[in-house]
Amino acid sequence: MSALQKPLESHESVRTWFKGLREQSGIEPTDDPARLKLLGEFCALVELDPDEVVKACLLVKEGRETRISIKGRRSMAEKIAEFQALGSADDSRNRAKRGNTIRSFLIHNGIQLQAGVQI
Amino acid sequence: MEFKEVIGRRRSIRYFQSWRPVEREKIQIMLEAARLASCAVNATFMRAIVVVRDDLDRATLDALKTPVSGLNIELAPVHIYIYVDMGAYVGAQARLKKLVDVGALNSTHGWSHKFVDDFVWPNILKPLADNPGRSSVGAASDAGIATCQAMLAAVDEGLGVCLSAFVAEPLKKILNPPADWIPLWVLLVGYPAESWEAGGQRPRPPMEEQFFEGKYGNPFKPDPKVVEKLKAAKMIQAPAPLPWRKEEIKALARMFGLPE
Repeated sequence: MSALQKPLESHESVRTWFKGLREQSGIEPTDDPARLKLLGEFCALVELDPDEVVKACLLVKEGRETRISIKGRRSMAEKIAEFQALGSADDSRNRAKRGNTIRSFLIHNGIQLQAGVQI
Repeated sequence: MEFKEVIGRRRSIRYFQSWRPVEREKIQIMLEAARLASCAVNATFMRAIVVVRDDLDRATLDALKTPVSGLNIELAPVHIYIYVDMGAYVGAQARLKKLVDVGALNSTHGWSHKFVDDFVWPNILKPLADNPGRSSVGAASDAGIATCQAMLAAVDEGLGVCLSAFVAEPLKKILNPPADWIPLWVLLVGYPAESWEAGGQRPRPPMEEQFFEGKYGNPFKPDPKVVEKLKAAKMIQAPAPLPWRKEEIKALARMFGLPE
């Protein structure tokens, strides 16, 4: 475990996330500081840094194309659901934002996720 | 024409006004309808070569005929030879990313450039592009969807259409299709020489035999009110044979010099 040994923004996966938000979603990621804060909280929960969160969803085998790991992604999706449930019980939008922020991070790092309607 | 009526009026037309050319504009409309069809991974598998029958020499036309479709091929003034281009996977990576850019594939559904570049292309599309035989069913299905849209557009333009198998070999020299194009159908196009009803809507199995609800074996039962609504919209029309169909066939046989 190497969670948060260095600033979140310095991780390659965070830079990829922000680039994807800017170029593909038309969103300026720094406009909402909650994004990074929530990612930091999630990393603390799973005891992984952002790059490791992405890697945990991958199946890397020598001589083969890297794939999305079914088990890894499922496990991470469960962790995201757990993280989401930690949000305020009487604010479904707030809870959804917690989960969807992490899902967005993974999606822009190539980990395709669909969690359905959250509110 | 209203959409439901277009569906209702489509028949496989087998008697064309062989002497009447089809306006190029109407062919373009058909091709545009095909071009806009839904297609997996935004790969347009359908390819088509439009041929005016009278531009073919007699020997070639004769070589194209099969026992089943020979007369149709002879009568239809325009032939659209439809192929499946298995090479359409090439470039699918960029096209998928373009769908992300234009807001068709979104992060709400888990899509991103990186997902396309790192996973969809190397793990799914590239293997299909490298081994075209593995994906021919899906590609042919997409070409069929596009063909269907062309057919419906033709009906909307007052034309008759009929899909037929064709003998690809004699056309190779003339049409010069790329070697990896798979021949699919020839779409025969012309103004109908028979009435547009063409004897009535063709018999189809009842909905309950074809479609199920919840699980196989539990028939999807049509609501009679919906059936009435579709009749009013001319999507469901009088079933074949209309009372005068046999007389019409006799007249067509006499006109074209065909066996009765």
